[in-house]
Amino acid sequence: MVGFQRIFFLLAVGLLLLPQAAVAGVMVVVNPRSSVDHLSRDDVINIFMGRFRQLPNGLPASPVDLPVTERAKPEFYRLLVGKDMDQIAAYWSRLVFTGRTAPPMQAGSVEDMIRYLNANPGAVGYMDSNDVDRRVKAVLELK
Amino acid sequence: MKKLTRRVGSMLVLCALVSLPLAGQGAEGETPDLALRGFGTLGVARSDNGNAEFVRDLSQPNGIGRNWSARGDSLFGLQANYRVADNLEAVAQGVSHYRYDGSFSPELTWAYLKFEPSPDMMLRAGRFGTEFFMLADSRSVGYSYLTVRPPVDFFGNLPMNYVDGVFGRFTRRLESGLVRAELYTGLAREKLPTKGEFLDLAGSRLNGVSLDFQQGPWQARLSYAQLRFQNGTPMPGLTGPLIATGLPSAIGAAQALNLAGTYVHYRAFGVAYDDGAWQAQCDLNSTLRDSVLWEDLTSGYLIVGRRVGKWTPFLGYSWTRSGPKTLDTGVPALNPAVAGVLAFSHQDQHTVILGGRWDWRHNMDLKAQLDIVRGSASSVALVQNATPAWDGHIRVFTLALDFVF
Repeated sequence: MVGFQRIFFLLAVGLLLLPQAAVAGVMVVVNPRSSVDHLSRDDVINIFMGRFRQLPNGLPASPVDLPVTERAKPEFYRLLVGKDMDQIAAYWSRLVFTGRTAPPMQAGSVEDMIRYLNANPGAVGYMDSNDVDRRVKAVLELK
Repeated sequence: MKKLTRRVGSMLVLCALVSLPLAGQGAEGETPDLALRGFGTLGVARSDNGNAEFVRDLSQPNGIGRNWSARGDSLFGLQANYRVADNLEAVAQGVSHYRYDGSFSPELTWAYLKFEPSPDMMLRAGRFGTEFFMLADSRSVGYSYLTVRPPVDFFGNLPMNYVDGVFGRFTRRLESGLVRAELYTGLAREKLPTKGEFLDLAGSRLNGVSLDFQQGPWQARLSYAQLRFQNGTPMPGLTGPLIATGLPSAIGAAQALNLAGTYVHYRAFGVAYDDGAWQAQCDLNSTLRDSVLWEDLTSGYLIVGRRVGKWTPFLGYSWTRSGPKTLDTGVPALNPAVAGVLAFSHQDQHTVILGGRWDWRHNMDLKAQLDIVRGSASSVALVQNATPAWDGHIRVFTLALDFVF
């Protein structure tokens, strides 16, 4: 009996110590000087899935993606459309090979994304909620 | 010779489009000016019925028989996108697949300029694929969908991959969704094998319009397209004797057997759902053909798949049914021969599709699929080389590897 309790305790501790699926939430962010204060979930789907790339203020929207090494990327797409990265690749293969729409711009890192957002008024990105600072403006939280 | 010149010309355009931007590379922007990408499928299939061959669509002169064959579904495509300016892009695509003449000669499938003056408008001019039916312009890209091939009962009748013309797409927000209208007009180019001859679609005009609503995981699409045949298939063996009788009814019948100048009308309604876990697609079509040579038909399909980790098992059902047409020549001796020709377009079959997709590596999938086709013995339009013993029943097993790069 005692043995079982100890094993159970160790398991519970072990589970707590396992690396958490650590993304607190993903924040959709834009240029800090943008007149856009809020985007709806449908807006973000339209922009990132290449359906309709226009911001509520009328500017063309240019979405920018994090590299796959950033955990916020798969988390973003899971929260937004319920798809893993393979499904996202399959989705884009259709739009790319019909020549209809190009996938989002690819940033090299979170810092790279922030630079791009600051250089382009219509840019839309996303990042781990913990990475958000004053250099970007949060417009939607995905949880 | 003309064909060769045209093909060489096409390849030159492709080469020019591919090589053009190499000089202009190294721009500062983060979007590469030139992107070269490709896609392909390696598929092998066999059937359990030697009395007819299963084809992917009407452009294939021979199909899958009782021996393993890689012919039906294997293909390879290359695409170059060159960004000329922020809102202007040039796209060229070449695809090698098993085609009307039995070869794998590559064809230039896309070659167009795309202009996007604003986010709600997209215009294209050149050679492009039309979304004739929902998802029809990506049916060569196996990696983009669940099944090994688009459902044959539905897409098998689709005669063309591309047209030379102009295209416009207009998008508006509606509540929390999007409404999209697409219009196009162009000339077809491809050929279809017809019992030892080719039906040349060159010069046949295709006009189309579609209305689309998309919101969250849902998409619905209503479309209409019309095709006007520029050419017919000469059938001197049949029309010669008819005309020789000198009877008005027989001469009229000979004229009715000419496809040139007649229209085909395609109407379709499709619904798709995709929430990441569940994927479903349903499409219904009614095709009316003015010509007595080809029967009118209705067809449809439903495919449902469920994502479980890297696996997506799927289940599908498709069907097609056409109504017989008759042509009385007024010459009883010639009627059977005419009826025999008219019967070539008959289709009355349904298919159960079972299979699975495994996303085993990034940008690659493996698929296995069983098609169980049940039809009447007279359903011969969507198979090739049917013998008198053909009973309309065939099972086809396919393994496929799809990739993109």
